[in-house]
Order: sequence, then structure tokens, then C-alpha cells
Amino acid sequence: MRKFVLAGAFVGLGLLVACQPAAQKAEAPKAEKKKLSSKEKFKIALANQDKWQKACSNPTQLVPEGIDVETFKKEMLATVKFPEGGVVGKNIARGEKLFGDPKKGGKSRRGNCYACHCGDPKILACGNIGPSLRGYGKRGIDPKDTYIRIYNSWAQNPCSVMPRLGYHGVLKPEEIADIVAYMHDPNSPLNK
Amino acid sequence: MRKRTLLASAIMAGGAVLTAAVAQEQLPTHLKELLELGMHPGHAYVDEGREMFHTPGPNGKSCATCHGQDGKKLEGAYAKMPRYYKDIGKVADIDTRILACMTKYMGYDKNDKKFMKKFKKWNGPYRVPLASYVASLSNGMRIDVKLDDPQEKELYKMGEKLWYMRVGARDFSCGICHTVLAGKRIRLQGLPDPVKNKVYAHWPAYRFGSDRMWTMEDRVRSCFKAYLLYTKQWSKKDWVKKPPPFSDWVIALELYMKHAANGATVEVPGLLR
Ligand code: HEC
Ligand code: HEC
Ligand code: HEC
Repeated sequence: MRKFVLAGAFVGLGLLVACQPAAQKAEAPKAEKKKLSSKEKFKIALANQDKWQKACSNPTQLVPEGIDVETFKKEMLATVKFPEGGVVGKNIARGEKLFGDPKKGGKSRRGNCYACHCGDPKILACGNIGPSLRGYGKRGIDPKDTYIRIYNSWAQNPCSVMPRLGYHGVLKPEEIADIVAYMHDPNSPLNK
Repeated sequence: MRKRTLLASAIMAGGAVLTAAVAQEQLPTHLKELLELGMHPGHAYVDEGREMFHTPGPNGKSCATCHGQDGKKLEGAYAKMPRYYKDIGKVADIDTRILACMTKYMGYDKNDKKFMKKFKKWNGPYRVPLASYVASLSNGMRIDVKLDDPQEKELYKMGEKLWYMRVGARDFSCGICHTVLAGKRIRLQGLPDPVKNKVYAHWPAYRFGSDRMWTMEDRVRSCFKAYLLYTKQWSKKDWVKKPPPFSDWVIALELYMKHAANGATVEVPGLLR
């Protein structure tokens, strides 16, 4: 079907195309595939704002008056999906990489925890936006709370600047469990 | 053009110093030396822009044909931009205004993909050099963005809304990084407050970290990359990195920030790390 339409488009454009330089000729069929323009894409991206983001979009960037914080938290908690194998994963090495790859100076594209937190003392390029996570595993925190914090930080602190990485699908449940394992492991550089 | 490349290589020669200095938020020594010699790397762009300003386009007209030798009639114009223009029926920032003049009045073709690519390009001959030059014609003058026209008012409101809009897979907004977290460090980068500190006064700016001149369009669009905006779900395929150039989203944010900078003195090109 699409081929048919395309072929038709080609014939229709034939006259125009004939007078155009080669580079543009190649472009013509592409345009017929109804690819979204960059403008349309950006519009959709903004329209994807969810109702909780909308609530936080005020000059304080915090939960506004009139919205019940406890209800907000409950709704956020309800979005948290837990992995089948439990909240503490097995692949600590992968957890470390997602947290911030020491081989790349602590960078990681998706987790990127060092943008805001310090942790492994070897990683010097760390932000001071969130609290230091140095010694985190020795604080007696329930790993389930750590998991929820990473999956959807707004279940604990609505409108927090810490991104809801699990909620948005940037990190999968199993990946978050591996980060939790890395953070709670007594041998982790965070805890030594 | 050649001048620019030369300077750039002089700067890259000090690359090692540069990397160290970036972390310490100070100018690398070789750059200080260039400055002492009166050689701000951004000035090469201004010079190139001046040359282009006096170069005729396809229909024989140059910018100077309408705006005067040495841009006489554009002195102070940048201090009042973005603003509404009757001839194009919309609010334009410097990038958009230059594009409009070139395509409307000089014979350049908006539908010519090759031209558009060259225009948008960071290191192209048109947009960034011309914007730097025209902006420099307002040096020493106070920023004075008025919101007289209804379209300006509307766009300003849109800019303010966008500034605080939490969106994307990281739940960011401009305000998160630049209002709430201003003064903090994201990794090693200090977060400025472009609104309170009236930073617009030093844009366009030469950023030696990336070794090139940026217009405010470039700055605003690049900051959107951190959001992880998406159409369907966050993954490479559906990732929306930046708003399109010359779009109202970008101009709205520029208008918001420039209005906040009212009263500050234009001093361009700026110099940032
Ligand atoms: C954009 C900045 C940002 C990023 C990125 C970020 N965090 Fe956070 N994080 C914060 C802030 C700010 C807090 C403080 C509490 C709050 O505001 O919600 C926090 C709190 C925490 C806490 C609770 C700390 C405590 O003392 O109770 C944990 C655990 C945590 N973050 C883990 C992570 C992990 C793991 C990552 C990477 C996957 C990460 N964060 C990425 C900003 C960030
Ligand atoms: C044929 C005449 C013509 C040419 C050539 C031309 N422009 Fe313009 N330009 C205009 C008109 C008309 C306006 C709108 C003036 C207004 O509404 O105040 C304008 C507005 C501008 C403005 C905004 C001025 C203000 O007061 O806010 C800038 C900046 C500008 N042009 C830059 C350029 C540059 C750079 C070039 C060359 C690439 C150029 N123009 C070429 C006619 C021209
Ligand atoms: C994740 C954090 C983050 C977000 C979100 C963000 N920015 Fe930025 N912004 C930065 C960083 C980092 C810099 C660069 C600071 C430097 O060069 O030292 C910067 C620089 C700037 C500057 C230049 C400041 C100066 O000193 O001249 C402007 C203007 C700016 N951003 C505007 C915006 C706008 C508008 C938005 C919303 C679309 C935005 N930013 C969103 C992190 C962010």
C-alpha cells in the first residue's frame, strides 16, 4: 500500500523533481512517508507532561497549595513496579556501571547519579545537588526504600529535583535492583 | 574565516591547560595572554560578521544596503530584541531576524536545503558571525526589551511558563537548574542564574570549552538536551533532543530572559568557559 502511494507521489513530483538538483531529488520520497517534523515532535514531547509534573511546574517547583502531599506520594508509589527477583539484584558490576562508570570518570548516560551525588571517593567529578551517598549502605536503610527512591523519587519527596528514572522507563526494574545491590554491598567503594 | 581558524588553533595548542582550567572555573593562562594582547577569540567572529554584512547576496543587496555602512542604522537594535516585526508578522530573535532579512530581502532561498543547512550551522558563514557583529553594534547600551505588542506579551508569558515547566524523562525545567539549584554544581559545572544575573548582556558568547561562538538560540536549545524529552517513550528512537531552531519555544525563552536583563549593559561577545 505504502509502495503504491510512494510511487504515485513520485509521478506527481516528477515534473518538479526534474528541475531540482540531485541532492533534493533523493529527499523527495522521504518526505512522503509522513515523518513527524521536528516541530511536531517537540510539541508532542511537551504535551507528554504528566499531571504531577504539571503540579510541580510553579515558581517554587514544589507541591503547590491545594494538592495533598500524602495523596501525591501514594499515587507515585502506586506506579512503582518491582522486579521478580526482588529489590536487591545480583549484578553488582552492572549496578556500578549504571550508577556511574568508574572507567568513564563516573559518567553514565542513563543513571548519571554523579551529576548530583558524590559517592565513590575515587570519582572526583561529582555534583553537590543531592546529599553525598558515601557510606550509604551502612546507614541501615531498607533496600526497598532505596529501590523506590530510584524508581520514583516523588513517592518519597514529591517534585524533588531527583528524576523519576524508573517511572519514565529510563532504567528498567532489574537495572534499578542492580544499582540497589551496588549501593548496599558492604564491599562497594561507596561503603568502604 | 582563516583568522578564526588560526585563533582556534592557538587556543587548542593550550589544550592541556584548558582542561585543567575548565574544572577550576578560570581562564587558562594562554587565553589570558590572548586577552591581554587584545585578542578575544570572539572578535574573529565579529570581524567575519562585519565582512559578511557588507557582502552582496544573490540579488546584489547587502545588509549594508538597507542598514547602513558599518551597520549605522542597527546601533542599539540588539538591545531591544527579541521584538515584534511588522514586515514578517512575528516576534524574532537575532538569528530569526537575520534569516528573514536574507531570504526576504537578499535573494537567498528558504527552500534551498543547502543554504538552510549552511545558515543553521554553528561554524557557518552567516548566522553566528552576523549575529555576533549585529549584537556588537549595541555594545555599551542598556538592554531595553519592551512588551508593547500583544504578540510580545503572549510570547513572554509562554517563556515564563516554559521556564518553570517540568517535563521529560528527567522531570527537569529551566528553573530547576537555574533558579532552584543556582549556585550548586552539576557534576563540576556551576549552575548560573540567567534571570537574576542578567546574563543576556554577554550573549552571544565565545565558549572556550567548546571552542566556538554561541548565540542564545544555541544556548537555549542545548540546555534542552538534558531533559531527555521523548515522543512515545524514552529511548534512542523516540528521543527529542532540542526544539527546532527559530521556533517560538526558543524565542519565548529568550524574550523571558532578555526582559529580565533589562537595564544591564550589552557587552559582547561574552567569554565563557
Ligand atoms: C538531578 C539531580 C539528581 C540525580 C541525577 C540523582 N539524584 Fe538522588 N537525590 C537528589 C536530591 C536533590 C536528593 C535529596 C532528596 C530529594 O530532594 O528528594 C536525592 C536523594 C537521593 C537518595 C536519598 C539519600 C538519603 O540520604 O536519604 C538516594 C539513595 C539517591 N538520591 C540515589 C540516587 C541514585 C542511585 C541516582 C542515580 C540513579 C540519583 N540519586 C540521581 C538529586 C539527584
Ligand atoms: C532590502 C532591505 C534589507 C536588507 C538587505 C536586510 N534587511 Fe534587515 N531589515 C529590513 C527591514 C525592513 C527590517 C524591519 C525593520 C523594522 O520593522 O523595524 C529589518 C530588520 C533587521 C533587524 C532588526 C532591526 C531592529 O531595529 O530591531 C536586524 C538585526 C537586521 N534587519 C539585520 C540584517 C542583516 C544582518 C542583514 C544582512 C544579512 C539584513 N538585515 C539585510 C530590511 C533589510
Ligand atoms: C540539567 C541542568 C540544566 C537545565 C535543565 C537547563 N540548563 Fe541552562 N545551563 C546548564 C549548565 C550546566 C550551563 C553552563 C554553565 C557553564 O557554562 O558554566 C547552563 C547555561 C545556561 C545559560 C548561560 C548562562 C551564562 O552564564 O551565560 C543560559 C542562558 C541557560 N543555561 C538557559 C537555560 C534555559 C532557557 C533552560 C530551559 C530550557 C535551561 N538552561 C535548562 C544546565 C541546565
